[in-house]
Amino acid sequence: MERIISVKVKYIQILGTVLAAFYGVFIVFLYAAEPRSLGEVTSKAISAVESTVTKGQVLTGTYEVDRERFNEGLTAFRSDNFILARDRFERADPEKRDANTQFYIAYSFYRQGWGRVSNDDDLFKAGLEALQRVPQIDPDFVSKDAGLQLRTAAELRNEFEEGLKVTAGDFNPFKLIRERK
Amino acid sequence: MPGSTTDTSERPAVDAAIVEAVDGAVIDADEQEIEPSPARPKLIGTGSDAVRERQRAVRLYFFLPLLFLTAALMGGLRLASPDNAFVFVAPALICLVFGAVLMVLFVRGGLISIEDWFSDDLATVHNIANGVLLASVFAATVQVFNSVVPEAGLPFWVVAFCFAWTLWNNLFADLGNRKLLRSMIALFSFAFVAKYLILAGLTAPPTEGGWLRSVFEDPARQAVTWALDLPRYSAGTGYIQFFTLGFYFLGLYLLPRSADHV
Repeated sequence: MERIISVKVKYIQILGTVLAAFYGVFIVFLYAAEPRSLGEVTSKAISAVESTVTKGQVLTGTYEVDRERFNEGLTAFRSDNFILARDRFERADPEKRDANTQFYIAYSFYRQGWGRVSNDDDLFKAGLEALQRVPQIDPDFVSKDAGLQLRTAAELRNEFEEGLKVTAGDFNPFKLIRERK
Repeated sequence: MPGSTTDTSERPAVDAAIVEAVDGAVIDADEQEIEPSPARPKLIGTGSDAVRERQRAVRLYFFLPLLFLTAALMGGLRLASPDNAFVFVAPALICLVFGAVLMVLFVRGGLISIEDWFSDDLATVHNIANGVLLASVFAATVQVFNSVVPEAGLPFWVVAFCFAWTLWNNLFADLGNRKLLRSMIALFSFAFVAKYLILAGLTAPPTEGGWLRSVFEDPARQAVTWALDLPRYSAGTGYIQFFTLGFYFLGLYLLPRSADHV
């Protein structure tokens, strides 16, 4: 008789503990995600699950870039829609672990910020920051895209750094006939 | 279990004469002293004591953690003014300290008997389940402090100081279980009234037409809001925190001294 009672209580204890643990995790999630309405709870939960899945893929070594979104980003990049391109590239590589995608993100800052008369310093700085990730992921990275004149991180960094400097060469009138790379 | 009876006449009848115990042993009802009725034989181990034991387990390991965790969830929830958007306020460090001190007070006052909640004689699952329940009590305690302590400014320091003073005094006072609970209810009720009735009443709601217009329309409230650095929440916040305190003290009232104590 004692045996029967104790086992049933044991099940209640296990189930109660599991439920309390789930509820506790849900509360921690709410305080971390800070949704502003009930509708936002669902969307934040979905994004948290996606992020967890991606991190799990990284841990298990099965992480891959989302090819569909990457191709969308590439199409937008080639049609000079750099804001859309960056959005697609970032969504294709949420963990920022693909050197090629990160290179395109940095390159999109260069092309968007480049100007015949003057460059956009903010975009160039953002590009330089994004470019730092490329050698961290792959120190020997060389882009295979024939449409890019700058194929390595070093060449692109040089363009950014030169573009951010103010030199006497900036006032050279021949600068107006240069082309974007 | 205290007060329970093992009288077989109180055991409810079941549909099977032969009952298989959980460990695999088959018990024939006919071999026992119990006389099974021809129509509805009696099941061994489902007497009133077993039912009471299960109900108690449900209360301890389902209902109470749910109650305390709900209090923990609601304790940091505020509704922004004027759009009623959720604002989740994480507890300040001082709330964790107050929570820990109050747990010590509960142990000293006899509301929680630690040696009865955790023991080598209990099964591991039992110890873990007890630990989860007490962890939920701690989480709720911290969040109840988070609920009644103002978020920022001078009121935060004043109320925090009052709590620190009271808890420090109680640490050295010889308070029994009931006295401690009564003292805590009085303390939190006072803090609740101070924050959600008095201070909230002083806070000026944002008015349409901008800051300058509101200064002209209600200069005293604007001055108090600015001077005390009070955040503006909608009226629903007070209702949520009222139920938070209610859930918390209901949970404490239902919480037994130990896992084996009714």
